[in-house]
Formats: sequence, C-alpha cells, structure tokens
Amino acid sequence: MKNTDKYKVIIVSLLSVMIAGCSKYLDVIPDMRTEINTVEKVGQLLVTAYPQYDYLVFTELASDNSVDKGPGVGNLNDIARDSYFWDEVMQTTGNNAPNTYWNAAYTAIAAANQAIEAINENDFGDQGEQYRGEALLARAYAHHMLVSIFAKTYQINGDNSSPGIPYVTEPEKTVFKQYERGTVASVYENIERDLLDGLNLIRGLTFKATKFHFNVQAANAFAARFYLFKGEYDKVVQYANAIFPDNNYKENLRPIATTLRTVEFASASLEYMNSERSYNLLLANVFSSMANIAGQGRYGLGVIGQAMLNSTTVAGKHFYQRYGTWGDNQASVTKYPGLFFVTNPLSNIGYNYTIQCLFSTDEALINRAEAYINLGRYDLALRDLNDFAEVRIQDYNSNAHKVTEAKVLSFYETTDIKEGLIQTVLDFKQRAFMHEGIRWFDINRHGIEIQHNHIDANGFETFEVLVQDDLRRVFQLPESVGTSGLEKNPR
Amino acid sequence: MNYFLFDKRRKEAWMPSIVLILRTMKITTFLLLVFMTCAYAEGTAQKVSLSLKNAKLDDAFHQISKQTNLKFLYSDDVIAKSSRVSLHVRAKDVEDVLHMMLPEAKYSFKVIAGTVTVNYTDNEVEMKTATDKVLQNRVAGTVRNQNGEPLIGASVSVKGTSVGVQTNADGEFSIATPADATLIVRYVGYETKEVVTNNRQTIAIVLDADDRTIDAVDVVATGYQNIDRKLFTGATSKVDAKDAERAGVPDISRMLEGQAAGVSVQNVSGTFGAAPKIRVRGATSLSGDNKPLWVIDGIILEDVVNISNEALSTGDANTLIGSSVAGLNPNDIESFTILKDAAATAMYGARAMNGVIVVTTKRGIQTDGAPQINYTSTLTTYLKPNYDQFDIMNSGEQMYVLLEMERKGAFAHAGSRNSMNGGIFYKMYNQIYDYDPETDSYTLKNDQASKNQFLKRYAEANTDWFDVLFKNSLLQEHSLSYTSGTAKSQTYASTSYMSDNGQTIGDNVKRFTANLRTNFKLSDKFSGELLFNGSIRDQRTPGTLTRNSDPVFGQYSRDFDINPYSYALNTSRLMTPYDENGDREYFVRNFAPFNILNELDNNYLELGMNELKVQGGVKYKIIPELTYSVDASYRYATTRRKHYIKENSNMIGAYRAHGDDPFIMENNRFLFDRPFAPTELPYVVLPEGGFYNTNSNDMVNYYFRQNLEYDATYHERHRLNVFGSMEVRYTDRQYDSFDGVGYQYENSGIVNPDYKYFERAQLLINPYFGMGYTKDRYAAFMMRAAYAFADKYSVNFTTRYDGSNLMGESRTARWLPTWNLSGAWDIDQESFFNQDAWFLSGARIRGTYGLVASLGNARNSDVLYNSRLTYRPTELDKETLVAISSLENSGLTWEKLYEMNIGADLGLFNNKVDLTVDVYKRDIFDLIGTVTTSGIGGQFRKVGNYGTMSGKGIEMTIGGTPVRNDNFRWRTSLNYAINKNEITELEVNPNQWTLIRAEGGPLQGYAQRGLFSIQFDGLDPDYGFPTFISQTGDENVTRIDFQSTSVDYLKYHGPVDPTFTGGFYNQLGYKDFTLSFLFNFAFGNYVRLQPTFTPYLADDVVMTRDLVNRWMVPGDERFTTIPTILDPLVSETFMDDDPRYSYYAYNYSDERVAKGDFIRLKNISLSYRVPKQVTDRLRMRSLDLALVGNNVALLYSDKKLNGADPEFFGNGGVALPIPRQYTFSLKVGF
Repeated sequence: MKNTDKYKVIIVSLLSVMIAGCSKYLDVIPDMRTEINTVEKVGQLLVTAYPQYDYLVFTELASDNSVDKGPGVGNLNDIARDSYFWDEVMQTTGNNAPNTYWNAAYTAIAAANQAIEAINENDFGDQGEQYRGEALLARAYAHHMLVSIFAKTYQINGDNSSPGIPYVTEPEKTVFKQYERGTVASVYENIERDLLDGLNLIRGLTFKATKFHFNVQAANAFAARFYLFKGEYDKVVQYANAIFPDNNYKENLRPIATTLRTVEFASASLEYMNSERSYNLLLANVFSSMANIAGQGRYGLGVIGQAMLNSTTVAGKHFYQRYGTWGDNQASVTKYPGLFFVTNPLSNIGYNYTIQCLFSTDEALINRAEAYINLGRYDLALRDLNDFAEVRIQDYNSNAHKVTEAKVLSFYETTDIKEGLIQTVLDFKQRAFMHEGIRWFDINRHGIEIQHNHIDANGFETFEVLVQDDLRRVFQLPESVGTSGLEKNPR
Repeated sequence: MNYFLFDKRRKEAWMPSIVLILRTMKITTFLLLVFMTCAYAEGTAQKVSLSLKNAKLDDAFHQISKQTNLKFLYSDDVIAKSSRVSLHVRAKDVEDVLHMMLPEAKYSFKVIAGTVTVNYTDNEVEMKTATDKVLQNRVAGTVRNQNGEPLIGASVSVKGTSVGVQTNADGEFSIATPADATLIVRYVGYETKEVVTNNRQTIAIVLDADDRTIDAVDVVATGYQNIDRKLFTGATSKVDAKDAERAGVPDISRMLEGQAAGVSVQNVSGTFGAAPKIRVRGATSLSGDNKPLWVIDGIILEDVVNISNEALSTGDANTLIGSSVAGLNPNDIESFTILKDAAATAMYGARAMNGVIVVTTKRGIQTDGAPQINYTSTLTTYLKPNYDQFDIMNSGEQMYVLLEMERKGAFAHAGSRNSMNGGIFYKMYNQIYDYDPETDSYTLKNDQASKNQFLKRYAEANTDWFDVLFKNSLLQEHSLSYTSGTAKSQTYASTSYMSDNGQTIGDNVKRFTANLRTNFKLSDKFSGELLFNGSIRDQRTPGTLTRNSDPVFGQYSRDFDINPYSYALNTSRLMTPYDENGDREYFVRNFAPFNILNELDNNYLELGMNELKVQGGVKYKIIPELTYSVDASYRYATTRRKHYIKENSNMIGAYRAHGDDPFIMENNRFLFDRPFAPTELPYVVLPEGGFYNTNSNDMVNYYFRQNLEYDATYHERHRLNVFGSMEVRYTDRQYDSFDGVGYQYENSGIVNPDYKYFERAQLLINPYFGMGYTKDRYAAFMMRAAYAFADKYSVNFTTRYDGSNLMGESRTARWLPTWNLSGAWDIDQESFFNQDAWFLSGARIRGTYGLVASLGNARNSDVLYNSRLTYRPTELDKETLVAISSLENSGLTWEKLYEMNIGADLGLFNNKVDLTVDVYKRDIFDLIGTVTTSGIGGQFRKVGNYGTMSGKGIEMTIGGTPVRNDNFRWRTSLNYAINKNEITELEVNPNQWTLIRAEGGPLQGYAQRGLFSIQFDGLDPDYGFPTFISQTGDENVTRIDFQSTSVDYLKYHGPVDPTFTGGFYNQLGYKDFTLSFLFNFAFGNYVRLQPTFTPYLADDVVMTRDLVNRWMVPGDERFTTIPTILDPLVSETFMDDDPRYSYYAYNYSDERVAKGDFIRLKNISLSYRVPKQVTDRLRMRSLDLALVGNNVALLYSDKKLNGADPEFFGNGGVALPIPRQYTFSLKVGF
C-alpha cells in the first residue's frame, strides 16, 4: 500500500499543476465574438443604445389622431385595434407592440450600461468619457420614454409618488433579476442626473452618422423636452436656446410648405427623415410597420383626421400637410419611409423598418414657446409660434397669417391669454407632429379628455371618452415583469 | 472443444485483446503458435497464490492464467472428468500448484513456451498396451490450416489412448499408432478433427478454422481502457465489423443500422458523406446536436462542421461533410462498441450525454515476419427508382387534366407567355405567336388541329425521368491490406480506393484511404504504437444553394434546385428531355431556358476533402501493477467546395432574363431594383460570365492524453483497477466562402464583373465573401476505480472533471464535475448457481446511477456581442454597430442527465444464446432553453438552463448460435429498443412554423421533437380550396399565422423519432456457403408528406393520382379532402387572403402526415468460401465470394407514403434516398 500512497501523491500533485495550467488554456475565446476592448467599439456599442423599435403605432392610435373608419375599411391590425380601444394590447411580440417598445428601450439601456461598464474597466481616455456622456444621455432618454408611456405622467408641482419604471444603471448578469419600479419622482431624479452628467461629458464628441447619436443639439433638445415635462421652464428656454445659439430657429425648421411639399412624392418621406437636414436633431432607425399601419388600417387617420389637418388654425389658414390616401377613407402622412431590409434576397424575406425622428428643431422651438407662456413671456412665445406657423402655411403672408394675442383670444373663445396660447401650442403640435407620437404625451401632460368613436357592424356609432384620471392613460407593463418582482399597472 | 484462456493483463490499450483479433482473423492463430514455440520459457519461474474452494478445474486454470502469463491447452475430457478443486496456496511455483491440483495418476502436463498442455490419462494400463502397439507402426504427417500454413504445436493424439505429440515448427508430426487408429487433431482456434489412419504412412491434415473460437465478451473497449468485463458494469453493445459488414456501403456509420439495441440510425439522406441521423437512447437536448460521440482508436473524432442531427436532413451542401467517419475504410474496422448507459459513458463525462461509439480498427498481427496480404473488392450496381413505386400520373392522364384546365382558361396566351416557369403550354402559345416575316407564317398555326398535333407528342411522351436521370452505374471498392509482424513489432497497412459513378448522372464520388498502424515493444516494460490515417475524397453533386425558410407563407424553398430525385418526382412526365431531332429540349424556369441535362452539366458542385491523422502512444510499466501511458494525435482536415455555375446554366440565364418585358423585369427576383430610385427600371447585375463560388471548411485538431493505471489483485479475491487520465483537446475550425462573380468559363476564365452586382450586394448587406473561425479548447481529468470481489461482485466509481472554453470567459461555468457509481453481481459465480443447468447457464445483474453531461448550445456565460452594419437607407448614415447578442448569464452551466440503468446479461441453453436486457430512466435537466424575462435587463428572451426532459426505455438483445454442427450453423440476433422522452419543462413555445415542419419542434408535455399539424377544417363548399382552424380557434380560415406562438389548436401526431427500433439478423451456414440477412424496423414516429400542394397550376409540375380525387364541383367536399386546382379567378375574387397561405398550410395540415413505421429487408448476402483444394492450386490463402443486396425491400410502411421512403426527407439539394443496390464481393488472401 505504501507504493500506492506514493503514487497517489504524485497523481494529485500532477493534477493540481495541470488544472492551474488549464485555466489559461481555456481562456481562449471560442468564436469571433466582438469584445469591447477599444474606444471605437464603445462607440459602436452605443449605436445600439437607442431603441430600435418605435412607440408610434400605439401612442397614435390611443390618441385623438385616430378614428374608427368603420367595418370593412382597411386592414385589421391587432395592436392598432387594442390601442384604439385603450385595451391592453394582446399582441406582445413583433413590430409596434408596447411590449416590444418596452423591451427595445431596455435593450438600449443595456447597451448604454455595458458601454459604461467597459469604460469603467478600461482606460479609454477622454474619448471614453465623452462616450460615457452619450451612454448616460441614451440611458436617460430611454428611461424617460418608458416612464412617459408605462407610468403616470409627471405632475408638475404635484404628487409623483406613483410607481415609476425600474431605473437600470448596471448590466444584468443573471437570467432573472429582481427590480423595483421606484416612483415617478425617483425616475425623474435619475434621468435628470444622467442627463446633466451626459450633457457635460459629450462636448467635442463626433460621430460618423451625427444625427443618429446624441449630438450636442439633440442632447439639448432632450433637456428642453425633459424640463418641459418637469415644469422647469427657465431651463427649457436655456437648453432650447443652446440648440441654436444664434437663435436662427426659423431657417432650421422643416420646410413643410415649400421643399417638403414639392419634392417628388416617392422621396418625400426620405426627405423628412434626411440626416443632412438641420431640422432633424436625432434620428433613429427602427423596426416598424408604422408606414403601413397608420394609414391603411381600420383605425387611424381617417376623413376626420384629414378634415382636422385641413381646418383653419388660429393663424387664419390650415397647416399644409402632405399625406397619401388609399381611397376608402384611408390616409397617412408621408413621414415614414417604408423601408425593407432584405435578409434573404432570393425569397425576399426581411425586416420592415423606417427612420424615426426622435428630436426635431420644430419640437424644440414649440417647447420653448410653451415654456415662454408658462414664464409669462407671451411676446417671445408668439414669436416662436409665428416662426413655427410660417414654415407650415402655404403661401405664408405675415399680414394675414400672423398669430396675435387678439387672434388667439377670439379663436379659442377665451379671455385667458395663457390658456389661449397653450391651446395654440397644443393645436399646432397636434397638426405638426401628426403620427410622431407626441400628441399622446401632450394629452396626458395637459390632462386632455379625448373621445374615440366606435362603429358597429350595422354602422351604428358610439363614443367613448378617456377621462382625465383614466387609468388607461398608462400603458400596461408586459405580463412577464412578474419574473422581476414588479407589479403591473392598475386597471 | 478446446479452451484458450488469456492473461487479462495483456489486454491493455496498446495491445488490445488478442481475443478481438482472433474473432475476426483466423490467421492470427498462427501468431499465437509462434509465441508458444519461440518464446523463452518463463512459466516455471512464476508464482501463484490461489484460494479455491470446490472450484471447477477450468476456473482454477483461469485463475492461474490471470496471475501468470501461462495459457492452458486442454481437451474437453480434462474438464469433464475432473473433480472440483479445493486449494489454498500462497506464492508457490506454478508447477507445484499444478501438481497439487492434478493428481499424477490421472493427469499429465507439460509447460512449453508459456503454454500448459494438460492431458487426461484414463487408464495407465491401456496406455501401456497402446504404447506397445505404436512401436510397430509409425505415422508421419503435417497439420495445416485452410490457407496451407503449418500449424505449429497442434496436438495429435491417438483416439482411445493417451498417446499424443505436438507438431513442430513446420507443422510436422510423427506418432506411433496401430495401423487402423483414429487420430484426433486439435488446435486452438480450429475445429477438432478425427482422421482415420487407414494404414497410411503419411497424412496431410487440414484443420478448419473455428468461427466461434473465443467468447469475446471478455473485454470491453471503452476507448480509454480495454477493461475486463468482470470489472466493467455498464451497458454496452458490441458490433463486430464482420457481422455488420455491408459490402457496397462505403460509409461505416451505416454499418450500425439494426445492429445494436437502442441505437437508431435514420437515413435522412443517402448521399455519400451525409451522415445518417444516429441516436443512442434517443435525444437528450432540446437545442443541441444530439449526436453521439465517435471515438476512433481511443481518440475522440471531432466533426469538421457541426451539423445538428436535424440539419442533416436539409439537403444543403454542407451536409456532405456531415459524416465525420466517411473517410474511414470499412475494411479497416475491427469492431464497434456502443457505450450506452451512464456507467459506460462515464469516462467521457461531460461529452457523453448522447452516447459514445467506440471504433476499433485493425492492427498488425504476429506472423513471424511473414507477409499476409488481403485484397477485397466489391462491385455494386444500383437499381433505378421507377414510377411504379409512386402514385404519379402518366403523361396521358396528366394531359387530360391539363386540357380540362386549358378549357377553363388556365393557359391562355397572356398567362402562359410570361410565366416564370413554363412547360408545354407555355411553349405552344409562344409558338403560336412566333411570327416569321419571311414566310409570313407562325411557327404553330392557331387552330385546334395544329394544337392537338403539337400536344400529341407530349401526351404520348410518358417520360421516365428516373430513367433519364438515374443510372445503374458501378460503385467499385478495392481494398488492399498488408500485415506482418514479429513478436516485437506488428504492422498493419492498408489502402483502399472507392469509386462511385453515382446513382444519378449528376453525382459521383471517389475516395482513397491509407492506413498504417504499427505496434512495437521495445522491452517488457515499454511498448508503443504509431498510426497514420489519411483519406482523400473527390465528389461531384448537382449544384445547390442553401435552403430558404419562408416563415410568412410557411414554405421551404431552394432556388435553382436541380436535385435529380426531386426533379424526377416533381416534373411533369409530359415534358421531354430531347426534342424530335434528338437535341436537348428546353422549357422555361425562372424566365430562362431550362433543360435538366444541360443544367446538371453546367451547374455542379465539386467537393474535395483531405484528411490526415497521425496518432501515437507509448506505454511504460513502472512496476508490474502500475502503467503509465501517453496517447496523442494530430488531425488535419480540409474541405473545399467549388460550385461551378457556367454561362449556359439556367441560373445564369435567370440573372440575365430581362427581355425588355416589363412583366419579367417586375417579377424576376434576380434583377436589381434599386431602392429610392422610383423611376429606374430593374436591371441585370450579371451581364457577363457565371459564378465560381467556393467554400472551405478546415479543421486542425490536437489531442493529448496521459494515463496512469494501477491494476492489482490482493489475496486472490480482491481485484482493483484504478485508472486516472488527464487530457487536453484543441480544435480550430475555419470556414470561408467566396462568390466568384462574373467568371467567364467560355473566355479562358477572365473576370469582368459589373459594379452593379456589388452595389446590390452592398445595399442588401449581402457580402460576397466571408470568413469565420471557432476555437474549441477542452481539458479533462478523469479517475475510475473498479473493484471486484471473488469475481462475483464488482463496484465501479468514475468521476471526471471537464473544462471547456466554449461557454465564455466565466471561470465558474467552464468546469463541470460528473460522476457515476455502478455495480454488478455475477450470480452465476455463486455456489448455489448451477452453471450446467440446461436453461439458465449464466447470469449477471448490473445497476448504475450517475451524472453525465453535454455542452449545450449556449456561449453566454459572459456578455456576447456581435457586430453588423446598421439598417439605414443611405451609405452616408451607415455605421458599424456592436449589438448585445446575449447578456451575461453568470449561472450558465452544462446540460446534464441523471441516469439509472438496470441490466441483466443472461446465458441460456448452455450459453448458446445470450440475452441482454437493460431498463433505464433518465432525468435530463439544465437543458438550454429559452425563457421569457421581464425584459428589463435588456433581453426579453434569454437562453438559460431552464428546460427539463425525462426519458425512459428498454433495450433487449437476444442472440447466439442455437444450432451448430459440422455442416450447418445458424447464428441469430434480435435486438430492439423502446425509447420515449417527454419535455417536462420548456417555458417558451416555439412558433407554429417550427412545430409543423417535417423536422418537428419542441413543446412542453410532448416529445423532444414532436410533429404538429394545422387542423384541416374541410374544403370550401363553393370553391374547393382548403380551410383550417386558425391559431385562435376560428374555423374555416384560409390564412394561418405561421409565426404565431399560440399553439393550442395545433394537432399533435407524435414524435418524429421512432420510439421502437431494432434489427433482426440471421446467418445460416451450410458447408462453405453462408447466407445472412438483416431486417431493421422502426415504429412510433410520424412523418410529414412532401409539401407538394400549391395554389398555382403549372404545366411543368407532375400531378399525383391523388388529384384524380380532388374537389371538382360543389358537394365534393363531402367525399374528398384533396383541394381543387385553383381557378385564378376564384383566388382573386373569393378568397380573403393570398391563396398561398391556404395551399401551403394544407401541406402542413393533419391531412399530410403519415406514420413513419417501417420494416425493411436491409441487407441480404450469400457468400461462398472456395474450398481449400482450389485455393491451394491458385496459391491463395483464402478466397471468398459473395453476392449482397443492400436496402433490398421496404416490407412495410404506411400506405399514405405512396411508396416514398419514410426515412428520407426529400428536401432536394444534395440529398438522395438510400438506393437499392446489388453487390458482388470478392475477398482474396495471400
């Protein structure tokens, strides 16, 4: 037995040496996976820090931009139908579903968090810090969209202790991780912190496709929107001013009534989302069927919508809006190019995608106008509103079309100029940002009651109202949030 | 009968059991003889310790044999007349012990060259008398085997006396006998012969080899060790190459068909190089490959490409390199050992979940330096398939249907002229409109008579496409092997050439193999071996592209598919390959001229595969009990596929089909319609040349292992074997692909591609070349301890610690320990067991429980990123992005399985029949599956270890040699296995498309791969198109959302893998003739019928006779479920959705499912061994002739299959069914 003992010792010591050696041997990377080992790759990772799906279909369909065109008109899209009925959207996967946007926003956040982790773990120098700024901004933006869609709207000077959405600041490393929703207030605090840090850090950062990243202008536009939502109006003005320090907003607005009106129809939507135009501050490529659903479905922009678009504004003339019609009461504004990425050219299978404008000069301007109103600077507000209207009214004539306090008071039949101007802002925004999802946030921020019509099989029409404190103003969280210990929204 | 017992300690990895060799190579005995006569005598010096109580004499011999290097040679009567032995000695000389055991009065023994010859002396007096007589008469002679080789040391004795002599080194003997004595000649491995002297002075005696020789169950080859079965407690099946031999089938993986219980071999494609779908005890993984591990001569064989068992049926070109063993010459194989249960596979730990197939190849033998040469040749011819097997309309019948359709307006000029694909009506209408201004006439007059005349030729054509495209051509295999050896070194060398002219005119293959194996022994302590193995393959197949899945409409498609089998089955028999003048006749496909013969000439793949393996090993005995050994190998495999697509091919024609015809421009997918250029017409991107596309897959594999084995016996009854091993594996794989665009075959190979091709490629992010690699690193430590007590009880414990780099950088996930505990009880060794009982003559019970594992198909123990380009419409905005393809899963681990196996090995009828039964239950867990998360981490669906599955089964093998006498032998073996599995947990439903496809899909509560169907809901009563129950339960629906994950309304048929499989093998021998036949069978699975229904009636597609019963007028829906041939008017006006939804859904409905059950006569062979007298004259050692039929007949299958092979998926591409073939085989030994 002595011999055996001796050999056992030899074996054991031999094996332990080898195990140690093997660990290194097993460190070899098994495939061609990308590693975030250079600052360039951090930048490439941040290309995915923007949601790659959109919130357009469900927010537009839930808003008063949509009508029921009646049985037999257009396609039936389940997401569009459920959103229009303010029901929980049953379809949980695929383009345009609220669940999909929830996932996409958190995927963007995950990319930002992985980028931040990589910057923390490596020495990427100054550029790394700049990318940290982009990551923080992207993280703040995605959280802001989530909290605006899936939680109660922020109450300016009010109670924001209702549940928010999980604010994720580090990569998830286990399959099921527990999260807490926090409150709307805490989410806003986190967004604000990331936003301000991000704004400080990104200065000097350049991109290959500038408009697809939080460039300085876009970051300021985000800040302007954020503080507008939060009710800190002087900051709205501050950041809106920072977008165009020369305050040359007017020449940078969408040339709705001119170029965008005359460009060849097939190219119009691409011109809308053209990254070389100064009216686009932040664009995103998103997987979406918006280009088809918004116009061609039973629920959506119908004759009523068209009539609204063509009705006179306080300026004295309607805003020009280019749209395509499919007959049968179907119409769609030509904002979204229906793009198709072919994954298999031979069988023509691929992904529908489009380009979405996340921040535009036009929105920044009108946000500033709203801030000015709240700050009591009606003159400045009117200046911005007039600039806004000027590019939208075909054959603009400043004499005829200039918005004045008097016109506002009479048009909105009010004696409160602030109220009238706010109405002006909301009306302009609804028309200008048709199919851009913005209306839904305004409806909630201002507690606007809207109604939806329903036409039954016999053509009988009924109406349903979304009241001010309607729980359905908050989209429902995915069923599976229970796996992370979250409560769904009350219904 | 003689028994020949071996020293167990000889059976080690380097010198695998001499027993094994004996089993297949009778000539080996020659070598043993040399051992006996030439080796120095060492026997007497050896000491033995014995503790025997009432033991049988042969057990005593057995014990001595084990402790010494002595072999025992004795006749039956030694045992028959012996009394039981009780003995207790310690470290005594063997001879002393033998004297104690064998009373001198009755026994005599001699020890010569390590062999103890024991003789029984009945009557001393008689012997004396006999001795007196012999003085008067002396007979001399020689003893040889059938090959004419002298048998050295054969015993020659005079019947009825104890007079005996042994032959000398020349096989000569001389013995004193009475004039009319009978000589009894015995030699190990040969049948005992009695010869009457008949007053002859010289006698030449030839002994016939005894096929039964040694019972080889003594040793189990695990790849790591050759273990004494007494110490081995797992469930294995051993298949000898000799029994599994399938002359005419050059791929060894098919030799296992029907041979071993629990091993299911499904021939999803019969093309050479495409692996069959092999499952050992069923599937264990939901997402993994489910392929067993191949171990060749102790070294794990890595696949050049990892193709999962399911992907084997796609017909894609990479399946041609799916069989990792296709480079082996079947003639080099000695045996297969299939390790099935956890105890058997435990030594492979975390790679063993799907079973292990251990292949042992032949090795050199001791010939005393004399060369032995064997030549084997097989000549095989194929039987062409024919239409009688299938229910397909002949041309007259189909013309009748087409004319009816024409009357309904289906082939009006406008519709036919521009169609993408066109047959005879297309041609007719084009001729009618083909105006020749010179003669002021049209090629075909537009009147009924002319049209009838035109169509008549086709109606009468009745083209037999099988005859046109298939051949009875020749598959020849030639294999030459050489072996020679001395006591110190032995060599086996072989080379083979296989040339298959192909089943069809589009395929052929050639393979060369070379094999060299040398075993050497430098001293008693130090031995080693060196092995070289190389193979070269050149194969040609019809050109093919990768199969496309269209999950929207629910369809698989393959562009430009010219698979001859699919073509023959799907092409209208009205069409003709040659026109009236005997020239190739072209019809239209993809807007371009098409003739299958032309296409096979101009669009083909050439596959080249080169492989070299070098393997070596040394073994050193540190002390007699302790052996250290090292095994290492290096393998390099390189494959290259060259896809030639020449200018004259239809594929290139399609790229150029423009025709200034707006319809073609609009509909030809191969033209480029530049996006965002609305005014531009689609244009040709390949104006010149064809394609020369190449792909390569290369692999470099190193393997190194060192082992330490301790083997000792204490106090005679305690046997201990401890084996420790440490191994590393290293595999680098690299692949690349290149689209050689615009290669001008016709113009000395100049290349002048159009930039527009690349513009299109760039816009579609469709790169024209690519390269990638993977690196596998693997390390493992293993320890196995076996203990046996008194040969009755044995216990085994194995543990293994595996590490792999594949799971990513996490150091916790990469290591996994596995373990196994097993035991066996040899009941027949108990004193109460009567081994001489007529019925139950042997019994052993085995049991095991343990953990094995497998690397799952997940690599995300660390966060995974991949890079691609953004989807943005302009070049200006395009960016490279890095996306998270998977978040970190810090808890990732291997897929695991706990298995409990209980088995019994019984010997029946005096051990003439063996029965092995195994029952097992498996808990499979930590399976890689998809789970739905909250999405907050950034990944909504994650891959994690969340699936569980249960499996259970029974395996039984019964076999033996029930009848055996001088002239007649019958050997039989029946095996069958039942295996069932069920997914017990799988969180996420796959979409409908995954579940309804022919390969099946996983769903909780059902089999690992279940076949599901859309529920057919009757034909539309007004128009006869099919309707279904939708994913939401709505009835009479024509559109199914194939991507829906709501599966409640799918119908479950059953698993796609058979649950009951087996084989029945018989071998009947009469004198020099042997007839053997093998049936194999499988039951319990379901197969999907070929998806042939399409809404569009085309004049180039064949119709089945099913269509005779199609819906034709309202009311038919009560009698038939065959949809109507759709009137285009109906689809446009009366169907809510695109008719493709409904017709393609019909292909995946419960109407299109058949049972996969079959019984097949797989193999039948009649062989004849040419008698000795003839071969002697021919100066040959042996000559065997055989006629073999492979895949002879499908005896039973579901009628719904219409004669189609239930195992064959028929997905086109390079896949061909297993052919029916007849082989003549010749084996010559010199």
